[in-house]
Amino acid sequence: MKKKTNTLLILALIVGLAFHGSAIFFTLEYTYDALIHLFFADHYADSWFDPWEYRWYTGFTVQSYPPLVHQVIGILSYIGGLKFGMYTVALIAIVLFITGAYRYTLLMTGSRRIAGYGAVLAVFSSTFVETLHIFGQLPSVSALSILLHSMTEIYLWIKTGKTRYFITSVSMLAVTVTSHHVTPLFGMVFFIAPLIGMAVMDAAREKVNSYKELSFKIFWSTTLQHFWRIAKFGSTAIFLLVFCIFPYWYNSKRNPITQVAIPHGSRDNFLEITSSGLVFFVIPWGIFLFVLPYFFYRYFSKRYVFFGLSFTLLTILGTGGTTPVPLLMLGETAFNILTLDRFTLWATIMALPIFAEFAFRMVEGDLKTLVQEKFGGVYHRVLGGLIAGGMLFMVLFTMTLGYFRPSQPAKIKMLPIVNFLGADSHDSWRYLPLGFGDQMAWLSAQTNAMTVDGNYHSARRLPELTTRAIERIENSKFRGVEGIGSLQQFLTVPEKYNLKYIFSNDKFYDPILYYCGWQRLQQLENGIMVWEKLNVAPIPQIMPKQDVPTILKIMWGIIPLSTVLIAFFINIQMIWVRLLKSRKIEEHSFMKLELPYNKFPSKLLMFSHWWALLVLICLGYGIYLFYVKNVAQLSPNNVVESYYDALDFKEFSRAHSYIDPEDNIDIAQYMLEVSVTDGILSSYAKLDSLGIEIYDETKNSAKAKVATRWITPLENVFNNEYHELIKRKNKWYVKSSKVDNDIPPDQLFTANGTTFYNHGRRKITTQETYHEDVLKQPVLEILSAKLVQYKGQYSIIGELQNVDNTPADIVLKATLYNDNNKELANYNAKHQIKHKLMPKETTTFKINFEGIAWSSTKDTLPPTFDPDQFTPISFEEQPTKFNLQSAGNTANTDLYKHVALQDLKYTEQGFNGVLFNSGVQEVTIPQLIISYYDENEELLWVDHKFIKEGVRIQRKQFFNYKPLDLDSLVVINSSLKNCFVNGLPNEAISEKIFPNRKKDHGVKQTQPFKGKGYEYLKFEINSYIGNPK
Amino acid sequence: MYFRLSIVFYIIILGCSSKKEQQPTQKNAPKIELLSKKNNFVAGDSITLLFKTEASNYNIKLQVKNAYGNTLLSPSKKENNQILFSLPKNYTRLAGPCRWKVLYNKEILLHGKLDIKTNTSKATYIESYFGPRSVTAGYNDYSMLTISPTDFYDNPLDDGTEVTVKYQFLENITELKITTQNFFSFYNVRSTLKSGRILVTSECNGTTSKELTTIVYPSNATNFSIQASSAHNYADGNQILTFTSDVIKDEFGNTVSNGTLVTFIIKNENNAHLYTIGTTLNGIVEAKTLHPDKASNWEVQAFVTGAAESNTIEYTFKSAIKDYPVTFSKGNRNIDIGPFESFMKQLVPDGILLKLDIYDKDGKFIETKKTTTKNGVCTIFLGEHFLPQGDYILKLEAAGISKEFKKNIHGN
Repeated sequence: MKKKTNTLLILALIVGLAFHGSAIFFTLEYTYDALIHLFFADHYADSWFDPWEYRWYTGFTVQSYPPLVHQVIGILSYIGGLKFGMYTVALIAIVLFITGAYRYTLLMTGSRRIAGYGAVLAVFSSTFVETLHIFGQLPSVSALSILLHSMTEIYLWIKTGKTRYFITSVSMLAVTVTSHHVTPLFGMVFFIAPLIGMAVMDAAREKVNSYKELSFKIFWSTTLQHFWRIAKFGSTAIFLLVFCIFPYWYNSKRNPITQVAIPHGSRDNFLEITSSGLVFFVIPWGIFLFVLPYFFYRYFSKRYVFFGLSFTLLTILGTGGTTPVPLLMLGETAFNILTLDRFTLWATIMALPIFAEFAFRMVEGDLKTLVQEKFGGVYHRVLGGLIAGGMLFMVLFTMTLGYFRPSQPAKIKMLPIVNFLGADSHDSWRYLPLGFGDQMAWLSAQTNAMTVDGNYHSARRLPELTTRAIERIENSKFRGVEGIGSLQQFLTVPEKYNLKYIFSNDKFYDPILYYCGWQRLQQLENGIMVWEKLNVAPIPQIMPKQDVPTILKIMWGIIPLSTVLIAFFINIQMIWVRLLKSRKIEEHSFMKLELPYNKFPSKLLMFSHWWALLVLICLGYGIYLFYVKNVAQLSPNNVVESYYDALDFKEFSRAHSYIDPEDNIDIAQYMLEVSVTDGILSSYAKLDSLGIEIYDETKNSAKAKVATRWITPLENVFNNEYHELIKRKNKWYVKSSKVDNDIPPDQLFTANGTTFYNHGRRKITTQETYHEDVLKQPVLEILSAKLVQYKGQYSIIGELQNVDNTPADIVLKATLYNDNNKELANYNAKHQIKHKLMPKETTTFKINFEGIAWSSTKDTLPPTFDPDQFTPISFEEQPTKFNLQSAGNTANTDLYKHVALQDLKYTEQGFNGVLFNSGVQEVTIPQLIISYYDENEELLWVDHKFIKEGVRIQRKQFFNYKPLDLDSLVVINSSLKNCFVNGLPNEAISEKIFPNRKKDHGVKQTQPFKGKGYEYLKFEINSYIGNPK
Repeated sequence: MYFRLSIVFYIIILGCSSKKEQQPTQKNAPKIELLSKKNNFVAGDSITLLFKTEASNYNIKLQVKNAYGNTLLSPSKKENNQILFSLPKNYTRLAGPCRWKVLYNKEILLHGKLDIKTNTSKATYIESYFGPRSVTAGYNDYSMLTISPTDFYDNPLDDGTEVTVKYQFLENITELKITTQNFFSFYNVRSTLKSGRILVTSECNGTTSKELTTIVYPSNATNFSIQASSAHNYADGNQILTFTSDVIKDEFGNTVSNGTLVTFIIKNENNAHLYTIGTTLNGIVEAKTLHPDKASNWEVQAFVTGAAESNTIEYTFKSAIKDYPVTFSKGNRNIDIGPFESFMKQLVPDGILLKLDIYDKDGKFIETKKTTTKNGVCTIFLGEHFLPQGDYILKLEAAGISKEFKKNIHGN
C-alpha cells in the first residue's frame, strides 16, 4: 500500500498555525505567565551562565525554574528581540502540540484517519486554547507536546526492545525535563506508566487470540518478560530527571520553598466560587463534558485499562476543592503548592484520542449508522452540528474571555518608565510598580533597575513576602488586608530595601503612599505617576549573592540546549522519512491494532443521552441560580446588594435606577451629586463585604441596616448605613438620602501663598551632584518623646517641630532597647504623623512596632494580618529605652494647610466637629491626629482618625470622634536623651535654635477636656489631596 | 626573553653533550651603581634613573612606590653597560616621597628615595567648599569656607601658602588673608543680624575660586498683633471671617521667612478651642474660617509655636436668624420648616443644618433626621412605612434655636 500524506494532519497544521499563530499576537502578552518567561529569557540573554538575578526580590536564582524555554527565547532574542523569541517559541509549541496530538492518537488508536481527527480536534480543544492564550504557560505546553511525541518511542522500545527507540525516547524525555519539571514528574505517573502498561498488554495480546483469553496470568508473565526494558527505561528516565536539571534540585534542597500557600482558584470549591469553576473546570473540559461516559467506557476496556485508571485519577484531582478527595490524596502540603488545574489539562489531553475516535465514529463510522437508524438522519446532523457548534463556541468563548473580562490592566507603554529609570541614576535605587499586573515582568525585562517585588513567588526570599499569601505587592489590593498590610510595611520602612521610586498605575494606592510619607514626583507621558521617598540611601555597590559551584552553572547553561540538539539530530532522520515519504518504512506494530468500529453499543448511546441531559440540567440550574441572585429588584436584599455593587464599580447610572422614582431625582442631578462627593470611600475603596440586615419589613416597605467593610489603602473601614426601601410595581427601590445643600459665599475668591521649588541638580553632570547643589537638611527639634505601653502594645509617641526656615519632609525611626541596651525592635513612623511640615509647624507622632516579627525572621506572623489590629508583640524582654532618629529633607509639595477646625462640641456620641476648607485645593481625605495630655501638659497618647468624606473648597465637613479611655496607659520612659536630628543630638539643636522657647504655647493650643486618664486634647489636621492643582 | 632563550640554549647544549653537564652554580649578586645624582624633583618633571652594570645583568628591574601605588619597571634603555629607567607620568606628577628599589631575582640590590615637590610655578587650582548653605541671623551661627589650593597636578600646596578670602554682604566686602595648614585653610563666615545672602570667594597665587553662597535666614519671630475682618458680624454660617497680622519680624527686625506657620486659636463661648492656620507671606499671615451658625463670642490669639504670640482679640457674632416657623400637615407627617429669615429679612443662604430628633411619647429616642435648607426652607416627611401612627415628641434644632413639639402622627 502506498502511503499518502495525511490530509487531515496537514489541514490541522495549516489551520492551527493560522488560527493560534495569529491569535497569540493579541493574547500572549495579556496572559498570566508569558511575560514572566520573557523576563527569565532576558536574564539568560544577558548573562547565560550566571544564575543569580538581582532584579527581583533583592536577588534570586533562576535555577529555580527549568531553563530550556527561557534559554531558547534568550537565544532567539539576539535575532529579533525578546518578543520575537517568545512568539517563535509559541509557534514551535503550537506545531509540536498538533503533531504530538496526532502521534499520540495514532499510537492509541492505530488509525491514521482517527489520528487526523485527533490533530484537528487538538487545534480546537478549549484546554489548549486556555493554557496558551489565557495562562500563557509556554514551558508547560512545550513539555507536554514533546512528552506526547516521546510516547510512541517509549511504546516501541518496550514493545520491540530496539535500542534505536530507546535512544529516541530518552532523547525526547530529556528535552521535556529541561523545559518543565512538573510535567515529566507527573507525566511519568499519569502518562508513561499507563503507556508501559498498554505496551505490555499489547504484547500479551499477541500471545493469545482474543482479549477474552487474555488473563492476568498471561499479562503478568509478559510483564516479567519486559521487565528489563521497563527497568532500563525507568531508571534512565529518573536519571535524566535528576541529572538534566540537577542545579534545580540542588537549589530546591538549598532554598526550600518557605512561601505560605497562596490561594489559587484551582483549589476552590467550584460550586461555591463559580468563576473558578468556569476557568478551571468548565472551560478546559468544554464539550468533553458531554462525552465523559464514552471516555470512561473506552478507557476501561482491557487494552486501555491503565489509561482508564490514570484518567479517572486526573479527573478527580482536577476538581480541586469541590470534593475532599484531592486534598486527601495529595496531602496538605502538595495540595497547597500545586495548581490543580494542570490535572484537568492532562485529563483533557489524555481524552483527546478517544474524543477523536468518537468524532470519527460520529462522522463516518458506526455511531453515525446507529444514530441514523435510531433517530433518523436529521437528528444525526443536528447532533453533529450541536457538538461542532459547542466546540467552536467554547473556543471563541475562551479566546475572548480576556477581552470581555480583562485579567490584566490595559497595556502600559514602558518606554517612559524605562527612560526614567535610566536617567539621572534613578536605577541606583529600587523601584516598585503598583497596579501593573503581570506586565511588571515586561518592565523588569527592559531595565537594569531592581525592584523588591517580583512575579515568581516560589523564588522569594524576603520574609515580608514569604510569610504572606500574596502573589505580588504590586496587586496587593486584591489580597485584602493581608496584601495592603504587606504593602504598608514596605512603604513605611523603604530604606530597608533602598526603595525610592514607585510607579503607580492605580490611584487606589495614592492615599497610603501619601500618608506613609511619599510624595508625587511627576506624571510620565504614559500616565503613570511616579512617587518618591526622600532620605533613602542608594543600593550599595556590593550586594549579597548566593553563589553556586561553577560546574552547576556550566550544567545549567549547556545541558538544556544540548538535549534539544541531540534530540533533533537523533530524530531528524525519522522526521525526514516520515514527512517526505522518501522511503517506505515498516508499519509500527500498534497500527495493526486498529479496531474495526462496526458496532457502537446502543446502551452506551442511550446512557450518553441521559448523561448529556443531566449535564444540561446542571448547567441550566447554574444559570438560573446566577439569574435569581442577580435580578436586582426582586427582594429588599437584592436591591441593596445591587445598589452597593453599582456604587462599588462606579456604575452610577445603574445605581440611579435603583433609587425610588418618586423621589424625583433625575439622573443628571444624581450624577452631579455623586461626582462632587470625594473621599476615601467614594474614590479609594473596594467593597470587601456587605452585611445586610432587613428589618421592619412590610409588604411594600422595609428598612435596611447595611454594614459594609471596605478595603481602603489606609485601613479597613466599617460603615453602617441605614436605608429605607420601598416596593413599587413589584420592584424594590432604595429611597434616596438627603444631600447637603450648603453653598459657599464666594463665586470667585483669591488666595496667596508661598510655593517652593527645588532644582535638584542645577549643573547637569553624570557625576555625583555638586556640593553646592545639595541643600542643607532642615533642622527639626524633638519637643517630647516617650515610650508608652497601652493595651499591651509598645509605642513611641512624641512631638516635633520644624525649627528651620524651609518646609521639611520628616522621616522618623525609633529603636527599642532593654535595660542591657540590647536592640529589640525598630520601626518608622507610618501615618500617625504629619510628614510635611512648614517652617515652625509642629506635629505629634506615634510609632508602632508592628513589624517586630520581621526583625527575627523565624517568626511568622499570624496568617491574617490586619493593619489596624495588632497582635500584641511578645517581647522576650521588656523594652525600657529608646532611640529616636529624625531626618528632615527640604520638601516642596503636599504643603496644604488650609483646613480649619470650625466647630467642636462634646456630646454623648463623642466630639462632633466641623472642618472647614478655606483654601483652593480640594481635600480628598482629611486625617485627624488627636493627641492626649495629662494635667501637666505632658503628652500621653496619639490617636488618629481618617474622615470618610473629603472637604470641598470653602465648604464644611462634619466629623465625629469618640475620645479614648487611657486609664490603662503606662509611660515607661520619657526622655529626650537619645533623640537625634539629622544625626546630631537634639539637645544641642534646642539650645542653639530655640534657647528661649515659650513652653506655654502648648497648653494654649489644646482643648481642656476631662477624660479618663487625661486632661487635654489636641486635634491636628493632615490633608491628603487627590488631585493637586 | 633572553632568559628564556638562554634556557633553550642550555637545553640544547645539554642534549648535545655526551657527558653530564655541571649544574649551573648560583651566581653572585651583580654589581650595580647609580649614576644619576639628582634626588629632588618638582611634580611633572620627567624622572629617569641611570645605573651602571654589566651587560649580562640587563634583566634587572626597578620597583617604584609612592602615594600613587606600587609598580615594577623594566629598563627603557640598555647600552654600554648602562641601564636607564624612566618613571611613568602617574608617579612623577604626584608630590611627596617616591621610593625605589633595584631588584634582581627577588634580591634587592640598591634602594633609594626621590623627593618630588609640588609644582607651584605652573598653575594653582582652588577647591573650595562652603556650608551649611543657610544660616540663621544672629550671633551664634556661621558657615565654614574650606579652601584647598592645589598645583597643576592636584597636589595640595605646602602648608603656609597664603589664601585670600573675600566675602560680601549688602554693601560690605571683606577681604582677609589666611594660610593653609595640613594642606587646607578654612574660615568661618559669621552670620549677620540682617537676613540676606552672603557671597564668598577665595584667591591663591592669582587663581580665584568660584562664587559660593549662604543664605542668612531671619531668626525666630517675635510677638505680633492680629486683626479680624468680615463682611458682617452676623452668625449666618456662610460668610468667611479673615484674620490678618501685621508684619511679623524677628528680634533683629527681619521679616520672618515666607511660609512660617501661624496658628490662630479660637476659643468660643463653650470653651471649645477651634483653630485655623495661615502661613506668612512677606511677614503677613492671613487665615480664614467660617462664621458660626449661631450667636457666638470668639476670643482669638495667634501663635508661632514656641517663638511668638499675638494679642488676643474678641469677635462677637450676632444671631442672624431670630426664629423660624414650623408647619405640620398631612396628618402631621409632613413638616415644613422655614422660611428662615436672616438679619435683613432675606432668605438665608442654602445649607443651614436642621436636626430633628424623634422620641416616642414616653421620651424614648427613636431616630435622628438631618437636612439642610434650600431656598430658605426645608421639608421632612415621616412616611407611614417608617413611623406608624401614634404620639411622638419631635425636637427640632437649627441655627442654635431649639423647638419641641408633641404631635399625633396619623394618616398616610
